Amino acid sequence: MNFYITYFIIAIGLFAFVAVFTLFGVYAERKLSAFIQDRLGPTEVGKFGLLQTLADIIKLIQKELIIPAPADKVLFLMAPVIIFVAVYLGFAALPWAPGLAPANINIGLYYILAIISIETLGILMAGWGSNNKYSILGAMRSAAQIISYEIPAGFALISVVMIAQTLNLQDISLQQGILSAEKTKFLGFWDVSATGGILSWNIFRAPHLIVAFVIYFIASLAESNRAPFDIPEAESELVAGFHTEFTGLQFALVFLAEYAMMFLVSMVGVILFLGAWNTPLPNMGAVQLATWTTGTAWGIFWILAKTLTLVVIQMWIRWTLPRLRVDQLMNLCWKVLTPLAFLCMLISGIWRLWLM
Amino acid sequence: MNIAQVIFYVMAFVVIASALFVASSKNLVRSIFMFFITLFGLAGLYVLALADFVAVTQIVIYVGGVLVLILFAFMLSGKETLGILQQQKGKFISVSKLPALLLAALFFVVMVNVVLKTDVNNLPWIKQVTAANAAIKPNDLMIDNIGINLMTRYLLPFEAISILLMMALVGAAHLARKERGAI
Repeated sequence: MNFYITYFIIAIGLFAFVAVFTLFGVYAERKLSAFIQDRLGPTEVGKFGLLQTLADIIKLIQKELIIPAPADKVLFLMAPVIIFVAVYLGFAALPWAPGLAPANINIGLYYILAIISIETLGILMAGWGSNNKYSILGAMRSAAQIISYEIPAGFALISVVMIAQTLNLQDISLQQGILSAEKTKFLGFWDVSATGGILSWNIFRAPHLIVAFVIYFIASLAESNRAPFDIPEAESELVAGFHTEFTGLQFALVFLAEYAMMFLVSMVGVILFLGAWNTPLPNMGAVQLATWTTGTAWGIFWILAKTLTLVVIQMWIRWTLPRLRVDQLMNLCWKVLTPLAFLCMLISGIWRLWLM
Repeated sequence: MNIAQVIFYVMAFVVIASALFVASSKNLVRSIFMFFITLFGLAGLYVLALADFVAVTQIVIYVGGVLVLILFAFMLSGKETLGILQQQKGKFISVSKLPALLLAALFFVVMVNVVLKTDVNNLPWIKQVTAANAAIKPNDLMIDNIGINLMTRYLLPFEAISILLMMALVGAAHLARKERGAI
């Protein structure tokens, strides 16, 4: 029965990680936005304002839970939980290092795509349960946006899967480094199985995957409702969108879900396109950099570094670009990203058959 | 009773109880959200039957697609239409329910018949598979199998379904298109 205890410890550990990430993610976002807008950001609480978000969460926990009188109480109370749990469940399948994955599922990638789509349901639940016109408008916008952007994201992921020939995230990670069992070719002609490093990442094994990565990254911004795709919670039009009515702990859960989602989509992007937990340093003759920097601790370090870089880029984009209008959003998805993603899938098939 | 059986009965109870709630609830939105639990429980039963691909597909298509579509249709329709739907007369037996009752009763007879006639413990095909040592194990890769079968043995049905979906897509695009002359 020991492994049941291990399961619980892993689940609690992942939750703790998500919570800590959210705390520092909010702090980093505020500092970054302050830097971009030439302000100071939080400075008062702790050194450089480091404890600001901790103070914020203590405040949120103390707040009274207010349920609006016309709200559907059950749906209103359940919604933030479902939104968060949907994202949190996705973390179960992510590999962190060679041989270290909470659940090594054969169809890991497909599972993550499925479990994330439950978030839409939670958002619709929140919108309807609040019984508030701004909430319901936000929820409708959010659902329309997430469903539309799942299509280019899905096809970008399929083009990777066609190259990798597996849905198991740990196997996909293994293929992109020196631990790979099969031959890895840089751009389809140069055998880099022993060299490893940045040369054997998926985006360099098949260069059209760079396009697929950009498509996936744009779509993942839309799926986590971040600017420039934040019309579901557009402050200037909808107050705060689907979470207008939430206070205290429920609001904290929605926020936790948003930051967990940012981390999750970035990590999936890293695993599929940017070499997962593999080192970017190649082996060069006697200087065996790739061999030296591969291992469990190194794996966790590399995947965290890459994922956090992508998260920072997400924040950077949020504070740089203005919000898209609804019709522009749909045009971008259906007339630009979807055909491009289809093209990537087609090239993937040809690449796999003739060049690998 | 081993742990798999316990899990099976818990899941089956969740599925049936939530399905009963969906059918009996007066509040339409709540029954839609309850339907989510039914589908999720079904996915759990599929996992228990080692059909993990089917389970995940169930969630992608029904929860991520169909259920959200139902909610969309619900939220976009007017309050009057929904009011009529929600205010059905409380009579338990009425003539308008006769076809549904008949259908349900017939289906029930079929189910009972199936349960009584099959000898679950001695099914010939299960014996064959066990004898050939070809039973599926929890760690087996199923997607390769599904892909190969779809592209060889079941290619014709697969293509027929693709054409059907294509027709639906073209039809939807045609309906949504702006008519010439109307702005």
